[in-house]
This record gives sequence, C-alpha cells and structure tokens, in this order.
Amino acid sequence: MNIQQQVPRNALVWIFICLFALVAPHAARLPVWVLVVYVIAFVWRLQVHRGRWSFPGSWVKVAMTFSASLGIYLSYGTLIGLEPTVALLLTAFALKLIELSQRKDAYVLLFLGYFICVTEFLFSQDILITLLSVVNVTLVTTALVALHQPGEHQFNRGTIKLASTMLLQAVPLMLVVFFVFPRFGPLWTVPIKSHTAKTGMSDHMKPGDVASLSQSGDVAFRVKFEGEIPPKSELYWRGLVFSRLRQDVWSGLGFYEVPLSERRPSEVSTSGNPLSYSIIMEPTQQNWLYGLHYARSNSPGVMQSSDFRLFSPGPLESENMYSVNSWLSASADESLSDWRRKAETKLPPLGNLKTRELARELRSGVSSDEEFVDAILARFNVEPYVYTLRPGALSGDNQIDQFLFQSQRGFCEHFASAFVFMMRSAGVPARVVAGYQGGEINPVNKTVIVHQFDAHAWAEVWIEGKGWVRVDPTGAVSPDRIEWGLEEAMQAEGSFLAAAPLSALRFRNVPLLNMLRLRYDAITYRWQSWVVGFDRERQFDLLQRFFGGVSTQIFATILLGSWVLVLVPVAISLFRKKDTHPVSRWDKQYLIFCGRMAKLGLVRAPGETPGQFAQRAVAALPVYAKELEQITRQYNAIAYTKVDGSGGSMGEALGRFTRAVNRFKPARRRGVIDETVSS
Amino acid sequence: MRQRGRARFGQWVNRRIPPAREITLNQRRIFIFPSRVGFFFGLCLLVMLMVAINFENNLSYALTFLLATLFLVATLHTYANLSGLTIRALRAQPTFAGQQSEFHIMVERSKQRDHYGLHIKWPQSTESLANLTEDDRVNIQLHMLVTNRGWFNPGRLLIESTYPLGLLRTWSWIDLDLHALVYPRPLASLELPGLATDTPDGAAAMVSGNDDFFGFRNYQKGDSLRQVHWKGLAKGQGMQTKQYTAYADRSVWLDWDLFAGLGTEQRLSQLCYWVLAFDSQKEEYGLRLPGLVIEPALGEKHRDRVLKALALFGKEDRPL
Repeated sequence: MNIQQQVPRNALVWIFICLFALVAPHAARLPVWVLVVYVIAFVWRLQVHRGRWSFPGSWVKVAMTFSASLGIYLSYGTLIGLEPTVALLLTAFALKLIELSQRKDAYVLLFLGYFICVTEFLFSQDILITLLSVVNVTLVTTALVALHQPGEHQFNRGTIKLASTMLLQAVPLMLVVFFVFPRFGPLWTVPIKSHTAKTGMSDHMKPGDVASLSQSGDVAFRVKFEGEIPPKSELYWRGLVFSRLRQDVWSGLGFYEVPLSERRPSEVSTSGNPLSYSIIMEPTQQNWLYGLHYARSNSPGVMQSSDFRLFSPGPLESENMYSVNSWLSASADESLSDWRRKAETKLPPLGNLKTRELARELRSGVSSDEEFVDAILARFNVEPYVYTLRPGALSGDNQIDQFLFQSQRGFCEHFASAFVFMMRSAGVPARVVAGYQGGEINPVNKTVIVHQFDAHAWAEVWIEGKGWVRVDPTGAVSPDRIEWGLEEAMQAEGSFLAAAPLSALRFRNVPLLNMLRLRYDAITYRWQSWVVGFDRERQFDLLQRFFGGVSTQIFATILLGSWVLVLVPVAISLFRKKDTHPVSRWDKQYLIFCGRMAKLGLVRAPGETPGQFAQRAVAALPVYAKELEQITRQYNAIAYTKVDGSGGSMGEALGRFTRAVNRFKPARRRGVIDETVSS
Repeated sequence: MRQRGRARFGQWVNRRIPPAREITLNQRRIFIFPSRVGFFFGLCLLVMLMVAINFENNLSYALTFLLATLFLVATLHTYANLSGLTIRALRAQPTFAGQQSEFHIMVERSKQRDHYGLHIKWPQSTESLANLTEDDRVNIQLHMLVTNRGWFNPGRLLIESTYPLGLLRTWSWIDLDLHALVYPRPLASLELPGLATDTPDGAAAMVSGNDDFFGFRNYQKGDSLRQVHWKGLAKGQGMQTKQYTAYADRSVWLDWDLFAGLGTEQRLSQLCYWVLAFDSQKEEYGLRLPGLVIEPALGEKHRDRVLKALALFGKEDRPL
C-alpha cells in the first residue's frame, strides 16, 4: 500500500476517541445492540491494528450491513423517520470503522462524524449538548489533522492545538454568516421524530394523568414578562380545553368537530394595558401553546381557537418562542351560541347518578349559577376531601361517584372533573381546562420557570353576563397549591418529585446549589432566546438596527467585510516573521538546566560551550559532579551527533535527557551549595 | 491546440518560477485549490445545510457555517505548510541509460512552523514523503528511469501537500536546474573488433603483446601462427587466435572506427561496455571519437571523463 494512503497510528487513536465521543450524546435514544456494535467495531479494528485479526471480507461486510439495517427496522418498526435514520447513520459509522484501512475511508468516516454532530441538534439544542458537540467537532477535526501527519507515531499535543486554533479562527466568521444567512422555510417536508417520547400534557385527560406528570422536574416553558410579574395565584397557563366527557376520559373537541360557523373565536372586547410577555417552550411534539386568559399573539405561526386557546399549526419539534398579550379581566364569549351551550353541557347519558342527584339538589337550594359554584366549592372545603398525589386508583363505572362519596382523595384532575360534571348536571355550561399553574420565579433574570410538576387542571364556568369564569376547585381543598405551589402543598406527604431523587429541584433548600441551578437556567433562557429562537423576524430586526435595512448588497458587504476582517489577522499571525530560531526540545531542556544553575550563581557565559561550562560548574559544585557530567554528556550526544551514545532512538534519548534535567534540582539543598560557592 | 496551450503554460510557469538551484517557496510560487476531498466535503456541507433549512434548526446552521468557515481558514493553513520552504538541488547521480538515476535534493524548513506531509516528486520519478518537525532540513533521494544518454533534465519538481485537513491541495512546480548525466547503455559484445597492433592511423584499438593472455578472437589473415589456439581447433572450435597484452605497453585505444557499420548509439553503447570492462580489469585505455581524443589512463576520474565524452558525443554540453 502506498505510504501516503495509510492511516497514521496517531490518527487511528483519535478516530477511536471520536467513535465513543460521537455516540455518547445519542446513546440514550439508541437500542442497546447499537452500542454493542460500537464495542465490537472498536475491538475488531484494534485487533486488526495489532495484527491479530484481519479486515472483514466483502461477504462479511454485506452481511453486517444487511443485519444492521434489519436490526434498525426491528427495533423501530420502520426505517423512515428521524430516529431510525440517525440510528442507521451511527451504525454505519461503527461498521465503517471496522473496514477503515486507507485514508479515503477515514475521510468518509470523519465527514460522517461531522454529520452525526449535526443530527444531534435535531433532538436537542440544549447548552450542554452544544458544548458536547463543540468537543466532538474538535475531536473529529483533530483526527482529520492527525490523518495528514504521516509518520507521527507519538501522541502529539500539537495536533489538537492546531485543530482548536483553526476552529477558533473560524468562529467569528461563522457568527457573521449565522446572523446574516437568509432564513427561509423548509424546502420539503422532513421526517419528523416519532412521538414516543412525548412529555407534558396530552390531548385527553383521565384521572391520574396530571398526577403522573407532576412527578417530572423538567421545564415546560419559560416566561419573560415585560413588566411586573403577576402574583402566582393569577398564573393559570391555559393550554387545553376539555369539553367532552366519554367513558371517564375528558378530551377536547377536534378542529373538524366544531362547525364551520363556530371555528372563529368570537370577538373579545379588551380594555386597558395588556400583560405582555414572551414564552419559550421546550419541544413537546404537540401543537398547543400556553398563555394566560385572555391571550392574543402576533407571533407568526401562533393561532387562536374558538375556545381561546393558542396553538401552532404543526407540532413543536424544537424550542419555540412566541410573544403574547393577555388581558386578565377581559370576558370571553359574553353570549353563548346554541351549539356551544349544547356542547358545553353535554354529559354521558348514564352513570354517576349520585353525583347528578347531588348537583340538582345543590342547584335547587340556591338562586344563581354563581351561588351554585360557591356551594360546590364550600362542599369541597367542608367535607373531608384530601388533595394528594397518591389518591389510589379508581376503577369501573361511576368513578366520579366513587371519588365524591367514597375515597374523597384526589389530585386536581379529580376535583376539576367532578366539579364540571356537577355543573353540567345542573345545566350550567362548564369545561375542564388543563395547563400549568404558577411557576418558579428566577431572581437572576426575572423569568418564570414553569415545570412539568406545575401541571394543573381547573374549570371554566359560563356565567350570564360575565362569559367564561375560571373556577379552581383545588383551591378550595388545598389553598397552598395555588399560593405556593406543589412542593409546599405536598410537604406533609413527602411525595414531591418522589420518583426523581436526584433532581436539582429537590435541593432547592441548599442555597449554593439552588443559586447554581437558577444561574444555569438564566443562561439557558438567554441561549434559547438568542441562539435557538433566532428566526427571520429577529434577523430582520438585527439587520435593521445595525445596517438600516436588508438588501443583497448589505448581505454581500457584510460577508466580504467579515472575511477580510477575519482572514487578514489569521494570515498575519501565520506569516509574521519570527526572528527567533525555534528552540529545539533538547535546547529547551538545556536552557532549563542553565536556568537552575544561574539561580546558584553559575551563569553560562556567552559562547561558552556546554563542556566548558560543565568543567567550571563541577569545579564550583563538586557535589554534583556526576549529574552535571551526565547532563552535559547527554546534551552533547543529542545535539551534535543526533544519536544516543547507548544506542536506541532519538525519542528515547530525549526522554532520558529530559528526566535527567527534571531530577536535577540543586536549589533544594541550598545549604550545601552556599558553602561550596562561597568557598 | 492542446500542445500550444501546454507550451504557453510552460512559458508562463517559467516566467513565474524561473529555474534556480535553490528556491524558497513564496506566494508567487505556491498554488492552491480545493482537493477532490475538499469538493466531497463541500457536498457534505450542502447536505448539512439542507438539514438545517428543512428542520429550521439554528445550531445545525451554526455547525454547517463553522465547518464552511473552517474550510476558508484551512486555505491559509494549507498554504502555510509550503510557504517558506527552501528546496535546494544537491546533485544528480550519473547513470547509464535504461537505469534509475538518483537525484539528491534538500528541503529546509522555514523558521516559523513545522511542516507535515510534503509529497515531493518529478512527473516520472518515485515519490518521497517528508515531515519537517524535529530537523531543520531533510535530504531526499528520488529515483527516475532515464532512457537517453546526455544531460537529462527531470523537468519541474512537484512539491505538494494537503496538510492539515486534506480539503485543499497546495503545490508548486519548481525547476531546480538539476541535470543528470546519462551514459550510453552498455552493450556487451563478445570481442573487440579490429584488434591490431598500434597503428599510426589509429585503426587498431588494442595493442597486442606476448606477455599476458587476454582472450580469443577469430583468426584473421596475418595473425601469427604461433598464436593460433590449436587445441581449440582440434576440438572443432574453428581457427582462433590467442590474444596477449603486453606489460610494456598495455594501453588500449577504444576507437570509434572499430565499430564501423553500426549506428552511432550502438557504437557508443559498445564503447561504453568496453570502458567498463577495462576499468574493472584495471587496464589503461584511451578513447578516440571523431574530434576528441582522450589519452590512455586509468582511474575513476579518467573513467568518468571518458564516459562523459561518450554520453555527450554529438550533444551539447550544458554550461555549468
């Protein structure tokens, strides 16, 4: 094989490092057997390198490729879609390593490595993932550099240094292109992520759903208010409206289930200054968005439904930023259409008879719907109802009856569900609303962090003249939940994040850890709003602000200008005349030795040969005669004959010389030296 | 058309990088262009950009742009790997036509950086790969098959590298003004024709004597009967004459006219063979070519002088 086509050993080591570094961030998403393939690939290639095994034959390669594809198909049930595609890429990466023999194989492998770094971002654009990817890109680049250092068999720190330098030199220009490159929409539809890993609310609610969500400390979204942050008890983030009850499951009305004439949200008269805020949502793979009642948004891609929810036309595949104006006191749907009244009072024909009975009884005892609401809330408050994350399972028919009259233990969804059921039993339009309640205020950057455990369900009741009014039955049972949040409410029970013993949120009482967590969250917010959330709108604003407009000329000028600004300094730093002759490694060591001698008062005169200097030094310090002679002899051997007296390679000789110099530390025995020098 | 283009290009390169024994590479002399791998990389970047656009993923954009900019920055680093190198012609080993000539050159590094993966070759020569990291200079031997006698010019030396990323190829063609002397291809002949005693007109090349047996040749009219190899005749080998060389006058003349009837190159080749034969037997020999006479002598210097005369017969010597 031609020497220039070989993969240097140094490069092979870097490629091995890349192998595991690249798969690491993906590991959690991959089937375990893919990781096994990685280990096999590593061992196989290592053994090939050591001459024990041989490269796979072409039939073996075909068999491996085929079985890998089959494995992916069996693990994911499909080959189309983002996860299987990425898994296929990663497996190909490992298999390619086994047959890596020539430089051109290495190019394919390493470019595939860059591509794998790109795919990682399709799953997460988190800061930590980004940092990890920076490391990975540096590693791949280092391997690429090492590939072009033939004959370098020693581990060379210069390789990674050069790779990092080049990447750092590339960063400023990358930033310019990043902010200037025109953003346009997708050119064609792309495989989206399979919806197996959904987090957050789902499109229906059955008892127990919200409670299980409350076990997660993940962030649902972050909110930045333009003015003061309203009190927590006002922060009801509406996400879903459930108007239909069927077999104890609440669900929303589908878009096409709403008649055409009802699809447009009715006009809501707003007065006064709205509450302005922007929200950055974590990817949910769902299409609903959150906002405070009554919410309107001007952001592109945010739509409003007839029940005044915000939603996005497509599922949220990545972090999504939108801004909202909310009028908390505006009344929605002051008059109710017949269709809507019917939809919002509909109940299953059978079941929960005791609850229906109770509702009718309570309604007949009061004169208005509002009093009826109060009567139910009073009942929740007075009767021994328990707000708990561990309500115990309800089963069979008549679950609302069971909850209201037997267990009397429930989470927010039980109370909301029972409340709406009673309202509708008495013919009052009511519906369940799901979303989040409250949030944690980050003092670092004044954002509200809403976690999954803030998930909540409450009710809306339509009152003549007032429109839809929010009623939270949970507040009647556990006012702490609304005022302070779930953690406070569950303090006695100890069930807060019981399933996540290591979550950083459990250490909120350790001030240092809490401070670090909040600072990191503030950085995440900034990251999401500036990097992840950068879109056409922001780009336009930015260019408008700095360059007064957007045009092709401006794009070209910025690009060319920045090329010059970046490349000229790099060129200068590369081609600057350095007057000093580069000091060889042995000279460097010898100079260290001379430095140590100088500290003792023995300065090597200009033009004095190492031999002469050693003679003078031995005369002054006879104690060190042996070391001085050894060092001088070794130096002369390396520097002048370029061979080692005792045979062996240059590298070994240099190593011995370096060790000898390092061991020679005469300053430690100052007493001895002072004597000898003065005598 | 194509040839004219090539000639034009040659002229242009000659103007830009004139021949010299020692050349330091600078911006006038270094060329750079994306390599095939670089184009492949560009293709990969395009795919990454498509992913970024279609998924509207900002960090994918960022990584794609980082790699694209890395490509740009790499131009400077690739270029720097050749910049400042000094290439010096040392010598070219004279050789015989049809053999490998050995060329010695030295590459000396700039004081600014290490140089890696320098590929050095002439269009038809073997290739050499050099790193300049530990040492300041490195000697390189390249071998090339030479076919014609005379001064051989290996053409322009190609020095190229793709370090550090392989995405770009930087190269220079330099004419080191290095010429190898190529002797005629030695052609063995069984005998030296026209062997006779030294004659004033120089018809004979070899002085025959009685002192030392030298070899056989076919009997010619006028040969002494005492020197006929009778035993051989008895064995049926035909009439042969034993040849002797005289101690007193051992010098042999290798004469152009000895090989009458042969073409110029063949004559030179056979002369070359005999030069080597006599040289290895430590026999004095002289050379007579039309317009050139080298008196009989012995030794390495003499041999080289004679061989050079054979090599350059009818050709122009190059001014040194």
